[in-house]
Amino acid sequence: MWNGAYVEKIKSAITLVCDAGPAIHLDELECLNLIKDFKEVLFPNTVWEEINRHRPSALKNADLPFVQLPGKTPYSEPLLTLCKIFSLDAGEIEALALMEQRPQAMFLTDDAAARLVAIQMGFNVHGTIGILVRSIRQGQKSPEEVLDILKNIPFKTSLYIRHSLLQEIQLKIKSEFNL
Amino acid sequence: MKTIQTEVPEQLFKKAQMLVKEGWFRDEKDIFSEAIRRFLDTHRPDLMEKFIREDVEWGLRGKD
Repeated sequence: MWNGAYVEKIKSAITLVCDAGPAIHLDELECLNLIKDFKEVLFPNTVWEEINRHRPSALKNADLPFVQLPGKTPYSEPLLTLCKIFSLDAGEIEALALMEQRPQAMFLTDDAAARLVAIQMGFNVHGTIGILVRSIRQGQKSPEEVLDILKNIPFKTSLYIRHSLLQEIQLKIKSEFNL
Repeated sequence: MKTIQTEVPEQLFKKAQMLVKEGWFRDEKDIFSEAIRRFLDTHRPDLMEKFIREDVEWGLRGKD
């Protein structure tokens, strides 16, 4: 339960492999610093280029542990098959190939198909909403701040979430922290 | 059937044409219909909602 303490916890030992969506959405919400506590945030080259094309400001923050990985990461036949079945794009395939090389890492994506493949491969996978809510647990944001951010999602981001589901999430947080 | 008009990247269209030429599909329309069907299959609202709910739970009670 939230007790008002607002102290940033120690750095996570987890490496994050990031798809373009969450980096763009978190930047739109001015919340990209919420992934600052991860050990490192890896971007395959194609994903980096995609972000650079759509939201270059997301890559400009020098304080974040971002790593652009050039070149192609090799991937297994089962992964490639799944990616083809689910019609994933080049960036998602590269990100999942990186996950295959680093199975202890966490994959961050807002794409349902990429997430399905990640689950099939047994990877740890989350999205923008998870990172926002996690920030309360990590002492990065207060529940009230996160409620404000969630409220702004339809106005400030290209992340589409059904209005009633967004309300449901806000109610859940309010109830969780007695607000 | 509904007719829609849209723009696709040149390279994507060339790949579709190649598949048709090689005999994998009847025509480009079949490819784009199949692509949309697959996209809709993997982007079902119930699935996306499930993932978001799981994320909220992880955000609140996860260990990492």
